[in-house]
Amino acid sequence: MKRYLLPALLVAGALLISGCQNNSTSSSASTPAAAATGNPSSAVTLQESGSSLLYPFLQELVQPLKQQYPNITLNPAAGGSGKGISDAISGTVQLGGSDAYLSPGQLQQNQGLMNIPVAISAQAVNYNLPGVTGLKLSGDVLAQIYQGKITKWNDAAIAAINPGVKLPATTIVPVRRVDSSGDTFLFTSYLSATNPSWQSGPGMGTTVTWPAAAGELTASGNPGMVQTCQSTPGCIAYVGISAEKSAQDAKLGEAQLQNKDGKFVQLGPDTINAAVQAGATGIPANLAQSLINEPGATSYPIVNYEYLVVKQQQSSSDTADAVRTFLSWTMSTTGGNQAKYLDTQGFVPLPAAVRQAAMSSVATLAG
Amino acid sequence: MGVVLAIAALVPTGALVFLAYRMLRTAWPAIKFNGWEFFTTKTFTLGNLYSTAGSTAPPGAHYGVLTLLVGTAISSGLALLFALPVAVGGALVLAEKVPARLQDALGVFLELLAGIPSVIFGLWGIYALGPFLSRTVYPAIASLHIPWLSGPVGAGQGLLTGSLVLAVMIIPIIATITRDLIRSVSPATREAAHALGLTPLEGVRVVVFPFIRTGVVAAALLGLARAIGETIAILIISGNALNIYPGNIYSPFSTMAGTIAAFLDGALTDSTGLAVSALAEVGIVLLLLTVLTNAAGRWIAHRLGGGVGLPVGRGA
Repeated sequence: MKRYLLPALLVAGALLISGCQNNSTSSSASTPAAAATGNPSSAVTLQESGSSLLYPFLQELVQPLKQQYPNITLNPAAGGSGKGISDAISGTVQLGGSDAYLSPGQLQQNQGLMNIPVAISAQAVNYNLPGVTGLKLSGDVLAQIYQGKITKWNDAAIAAINPGVKLPATTIVPVRRVDSSGDTFLFTSYLSATNPSWQSGPGMGTTVTWPAAAGELTASGNPGMVQTCQSTPGCIAYVGISAEKSAQDAKLGEAQLQNKDGKFVQLGPDTINAAVQAGATGIPANLAQSLINEPGATSYPIVNYEYLVVKQQQSSSDTADAVRTFLSWTMSTTGGNQAKYLDTQGFVPLPAAVRQAAMSSVATLAG
Repeated sequence: MGVVLAIAALVPTGALVFLAYRMLRTAWPAIKFNGWEFFTTKTFTLGNLYSTAGSTAPPGAHYGVLTLLVGTAISSGLALLFALPVAVGGALVLAEKVPARLQDALGVFLELLAGIPSVIFGLWGIYALGPFLSRTVYPAIASLHIPWLSGPVGAGQGLLTGSLVLAVMIIPIIATITRDLIRSVSPATREAAHALGLTPLEGVRVVVFPFIRTGVVAAALLGLARAIGETIAILIISGNALNIYPGNIYSPFSTMAGTIAAFLDGALTDSTGLAVSALAEVGIVLLLLTVLTNAAGRWIAHRLGGGVGLPVGRGA
């Protein structure tokens, strides 16, 4: 009898453990979209991962959301837009934060995967040159810097667009993201739109094959970019707008970028809204739209929608209710799209037409 | 009872076989796509992941492990070059010169160093060591105009910094084994050398070294295996430069492990699945290399006669 005690215990334990796994309450048939938004009937935790540009905004929303809908707990995390998309695809999280819209291939491969815009953000280019203010840069020059073709700050190409600015002979240290990043997507989209050799070479994406630029540094996440640039004289880095406050605190300069009309514009709510007005018309049904390099004399060239990637089919009706409620609340002008939440990050609210299109996508969520 | 023990004994082997099998299955599409070119081309690019609709491979995707192999080999080789003299010399000093009371305490510190997580070394490298070296030491070395040690010194993320960090990580492994080996030399032999009038240095050279030589080689190979597989510290400190051979010792580089870690999230967004397959193929090459290096280390130690226990499961 004793011989078989240990194996019997092991088998019983294995059965117990496997039995405990099936405790998710999934409804047997998919509920037709009642588009119900409101406090779900049981407590739901929404996991989010992805964009480090979106992350501070979501962190701000955790408490107000909890006050409005006590049964919904939001758990944001960072990790880069590529991680957000792949986590959402694999079902590890309910919400995948991404600055990049889903590619046609991803939409094709994953039927029922949606990217829902929740706010509009932008990206800045910061540099570490004490005493140099009001630097102007164009996408073409930036592409050459990141290709390693322009290596000194007083290069002729930079001096040509900065008449009257005293440029030091410091070596340029480009900094790029090593994680799969929506900021990389935005920056490389801008470079692709303005420099043909970049478009045919590395192209655009959350992960690209960066050319070997001498002395280039890598960093993780937007805070990492600011940190690395702060400690490296002569550095240049692309930083999401929600990290701009920390970049300014770190005494990094912010460049004026050249837009499609050839004008150099400063990053700010006016220039972002100018780009939105020019570009946010006729958003496609799948909500995947680029706002990079929009026309307009005062349009800022690197503007984007902040997306949350969700699956149309959620694991339970309560989760679907929670996701629908959260997304609707975040997009509404009385919820997440209020000035008090957007302004601290430098975001601007969604235009009404985009909000409407997004709401109809959200209504199709079922569980 | 015997059955349970037999199962427990088979678990490590079974896990390794299962791991290798699953990796091979994941890598199979890429193996077919690449063929032998994988080992001869220096380009590694995931291609345009945003235009993959309707295709079996991302446009422009081209996978080659050559630069990764070179980066791994050079960084691990340099790390061993830096670590071996320091570790063996330190172990000798620890075993011979340090008073017996302090020997145990210092030995504990050495073993503690081996247990520090790799990510801490990476952080130390990128925020402390790298910037300091690139501003003070590297320009000084570069001004001597020695080939491969001169040229642009970069900003701290590169081959020399990476190798130094790896060396600090593998010194404890080599040093602890060497110290145990030195202690295992019979006191009678050492006293005989002393009686014959050999100085301590000559005693080490004539008596200790021939005895521990093979064991030190085994320890070095174990350290090398750790350096080859090091991921997170390399990811932070190496600069992750793709498709280039390091032009000088300050140049950024990529290793197999670092590339897998850096590209995995991006590869998972590839709707064709080929990018993940390619990374799995890189992983298989890395697995083979580590297994071979470990096996070589253990075979040499076995030839020695099993006189010293080898550290199992050190590092990550």
